[in-house]
Amino acid sequence: MAGVHKLTTGLTGLPVARHPHKTLKVLYSRILAYINKMPSDAGYRKHTEQITNQRLHLVNSETDVQKLEEKINCGQIEEVIKQAERELTLARKMLEWKPWEPLVGQAPPNQWKWPLA
Amino acid sequence: MASRICQFMRPLAYSVARKNVLNSIPIVYHKFQVRNNSGAATTTPTKYSTIATRNEAIRQHLTQFGAYVAECLPKYVQKVDVYHHDELEIMIHPDGVIPVLTFLKDHTNAQFMNIVDIAGVDKPSLENRFEIVYMLQSIQFNSRIRVKTYTDELTPIESACSVYPGANWYEREIWDMFGVFFANHPDLRRILTDYGFEGHPFRKDFPLSGYVEVRYDDEVKRVVVEPLELAQEFRKFEANTPWETFPSHRQLEGKYQKTTKPEEKK
Repeated sequence: MAGVHKLTTGLTGLPVARHPHKTLKVLYSRILAYINKMPSDAGYRKHTEQITNQRLHLVNSETDVQKLEEKINCGQIEEVIKQAERELTLARKMLEWKPWEPLVGQAPPNQWKWPLA
Repeated sequence: MASRICQFMRPLAYSVARKNVLNSIPIVYHKFQVRNNSGAATTTPTKYSTIATRNEAIRQHLTQFGAYVAECLPKYVQKVDVYHHDELEIMIHPDGVIPVLTFLKDHTNAQFMNIVDIAGVDKPSLENRFEIVYMLQSIQFNSRIRVKTYTDELTPIESACSVYPGANWYEREIWDMFGVFFANHPDLRRILTDYGFEGHPFRKDFPLSGYVEVRYDDEVKRVVVEPLELAQEFRKFEANTPWETFPSHRQLEGKYQKTTKPEEKK
């Protein structure tokens, strides 16, 4: 277990990451590659780019895993990796769905009115 | 026996309380005691509230997050609103069920990994009479959200099972109770009603007594299902309350505007 700063994450099914920096850098660069295919004014692109760049910067600047966890402040590093994986699959699907397009259809009148009477 | 004891005890306890005997007994309220520097305990009077209080910080936070979701998914989000102090609701177009739920589940700033429930609402006067409400929870950020969409009797809604496997039984329940069809559901069967049941009992036009009654027939030695026969004709009750039910949603002439719309994309 050389190079690993803890024995367990304490979470079932989530093993300790061996090379969190390397994994995260790969994941974030892949997310950014997908996001670059989106139009530059898309809200999803703007926000995800911001989150990803911020975390990538932290990963690049901080070598100590525990300090990195504190700086990212979103759970253990293994959870952060999971979040990046989910963001990656989402970005891939978003390219297909194109949610930055205009609204597909307005709700019929009174649909969201409450109370109805 | 117990009530008799109470009869004797109640006046006794009352008189004890009136004589301020109880006040002299030291009761420690850990939470509401503030110790000053000299070490003596001073109790601060705390107001207890039995109803939820409005927290502006939480409300603003939720409003911002609602605007964030609307900005990320302008294709599907029709309206965003914060109800009852701290309940964020996102109203979406029925086409956007999978994209919106996937976004809320997988996006780093949302992480609504848990599906708490899926509910149905029947509003027969509307063009799309059924409302489907997805209730999600984010463990990471300790928050909840509701996603609402609509459909009618014939239009299928995309099943959320591919995003949340836990939605399977909830969707079966909606199918059973309201008859809303979920497309691409792995196993859409009835879940709550009896074998051979017909109709969808949570629809507003389903009679309270049902259509059939079930009894054991001694001659044929089995349970038989027969059309319902009531001894008395169904009476129409005037169930309208004389009280004003929603005073905070009182409609002035043409002035009904309580909701906040999501920001339009420029």
